[in-house]
Amino acid sequence: MNSMAIDRRHVLLGTLAFIGATALRPAFAGAATTAAYVTAARLADGSFGILLLSADGTVLREVPLSARGHDIAVDQASGRVVVFARRPGAFAVSFEINKSTPPHVFTPGEGRHYFGHGSFSQDGRLLYASENDIATGMGVIGIYDVARSFKKIGEHSTFGMGPHEIMLLADGKTIACGNGGLDTTPEAGRENLNVDSMQPSLTFVDAESGKLLAKHEMTGNVKSLSIRHVTQDAKGVVWFGGQWEGSPSETPPQIVGSVGLDRPFKLLEPQGKGGDDLKGYIGAMAVSNDGRFIAASAPKAGHVLYVDTETATVIGRSNLKDVCGLAAEGARDFAASSGFGVIRYETAQASKISERALQDVAFDNHLRRIA
Amino acid sequence: MMVRKVMIAVLAFLAFAAEAVSADLPPEPLSHAGMVKAAIEQYIIPHIDALKAATAPLPDAVDNVCKTGSPEAEKALQEHFDKAVIAYAGVDFLRFGPMLENGRREQISFWPDPRGFVARQMRLLLLNKDDTIAQPGAIRKQSAAVQGLPALEALMHDKNVPLGPGDAAHYRCLVAHAIAINVASLATEVADGWEKPDGWADKMLHPGPSNDTYKSNSEAAVEVVKALIVGLGLTADLQVKPQIDAKVRLTPPYDKSGLQKAYYATSVASLHQLYDVLNLESWLPPDRLWMKDWVVGTWRTLESSDGVGGHMPHAKREDAPTLREVFDRTNGLRNMVANRLSVAAKLTVGFNELDGD
Repeated sequence: MNSMAIDRRHVLLGTLAFIGATALRPAFAGAATTAAYVTAARLADGSFGILLLSADGTVLREVPLSARGHDIAVDQASGRVVVFARRPGAFAVSFEINKSTPPHVFTPGEGRHYFGHGSFSQDGRLLYASENDIATGMGVIGIYDVARSFKKIGEHSTFGMGPHEIMLLADGKTIACGNGGLDTTPEAGRENLNVDSMQPSLTFVDAESGKLLAKHEMTGNVKSLSIRHVTQDAKGVVWFGGQWEGSPSETPPQIVGSVGLDRPFKLLEPQGKGGDDLKGYIGAMAVSNDGRFIAASAPKAGHVLYVDTETATVIGRSNLKDVCGLAAEGARDFAASSGFGVIRYETAQASKISERALQDVAFDNHLRRIA
Repeated sequence: MMVRKVMIAVLAFLAFAAEAVSADLPPEPLSHAGMVKAAIEQYIIPHIDALKAATAPLPDAVDNVCKTGSPEAEKALQEHFDKAVIAYAGVDFLRFGPMLENGRREQISFWPDPRGFVARQMRLLLLNKDDTIAQPGAIRKQSAAVQGLPALEALMHDKNVPLGPGDAAHYRCLVAHAIAINVASLATEVADGWEKPDGWADKMLHPGPSNDTYKSNSEAAVEVVKALIVGLGLTADLQVKPQIDAKVRLTPPYDKSGLQKAYYATSVASLHQLYDVLNLESWLPPDRLWMKDWVVGTWRTLESSDGVGGHMPHAKREDAPTLREVFDRTNGLRNMVANRLSVAAKLTVGFNELDGD
């Protein structure tokens, strides 16, 4: 059983500790009973769960998990969320934000495991999940019928190995797949089996037919840049963040870039030793609600990088130890969460607005806005 | 007899390693800089040097087998091979710095291998029979799966075409020799990477704003603590879990040479040595001292197991711990180091930064 029908509302209210000197913005402060964010987390007793948070960081609901979760797909219209197991896990848990019905657990089927990410179709009828065909190591997009208790009804190829984040783009028809290029199997845990021959790519796949629309491969001096996370700006450009798997001395100066269906990838211009400063790993990406600004978290470095998509330049960089989860807030601001239980609001210019911490709670890699 | 020899080699390795850390542990908490210095001087460099020393005789040992095919030469090669594997087990979890450069770790020891890449790539290599494989550096252009110790082991234990004089084994001997030279070269490169002026040891010992990897002593100390955490995870997940979870089908490390127990024993002993060198417990406040007893009991459990469900000779515990207990205790210790001891030592090992995703 991957999730229990236990719904411990408000259990962690007493653990809140305010650590910011800045008062919460009024827009955040008055909404303590409305769920605004969802995230996977490690809880105070060392177990794992999903947390629903209000805008001021209050835990409103906790759904226990038997193992570590990763990202969450959100269907805003229905209020339904699905959290995926961290790779190489093989469970997903669905529940509805505003109902107390028990969570529903489903799996990717024999010979598959999840990579931790997925995306709903725009009408909320289908769920797409990034999965591993364990026998071949090739990536697949699992397709699930939401109305039929997430019955798996099909698969598309991701046209690459080791997909991580997949995202249904704003056109509602195209899925962007961050193919990390890494071969893994559950038997070998989290070990990468093909670092010397990895072929990372970012592919665009037709959500209905499964046809490959475009494939952009990482080659040359970035052939070891494993594509991990993606987001899309207002103009439809896809932005990605990678994880460097090559020699430390060859870490590229930048590991965040952009790509389009009809144009090859382009890394950001280095701002000094960007790749080194980010310690070779982008843990999450998010776009501001107005679509202009991109945030990329670098948990190993403890930074969030902010990019103005109009100019493709870095306009801010904040510091937060083990920061990873990112979500849009307001028109142009962001919320960031950390493995040390901190949730912080800041502008795209990296100015801190407010900050709170939950004691003994570690927020997992991804944070999603749900209201 | 062979098992006994291997265990003697393990014990010899452990005695060497224990000597390397035999200096009295300081009664006071080590500073972060002190932790890094101690880890480098008392653990990392001695073990990296041990790998270099253990791999150096491999090319001659292969040559001797290929020239004579004698049982004595085969036995000598196996003994050198065992020592090289045992030495590698002591550094397997140091997955940063020179070992990561150019994918050296996978090149030296391509394991785990759930897809059977070593056998598949070796078949291809032997089919192609490209004599240029004997040229310096040629093996480096091949898949990592055929560059290191598992590939050499595969050739050493192929009973259909054993290494030795004669045409049948001629090409295999070229490959085995190239692999042996490669492994020794890789170990030398790793050692040089650590020890040369401005090498990785210097980088860790001299953090600061101009250091492109470590900005502070704390960052360098976290790197070492992370290695300890990674090592505990690797031992639990790759060596123990496959034996208690029927769904996990993974061939043990260096199984053809019968080194599963030796690899486990060396992994545990090495992690214990690094743990002692870091002396994280000395940071514990009085109300958390119970953790020390738990840790002592955990090491006793891990070291009383032979890693396959049996009892380690001369173990401190009288009964053989079950593999389930070994698995749970190893994971418990991993969590203890990551979430309690490192915090007590004012080292913040992030939940999200630990291994990426």
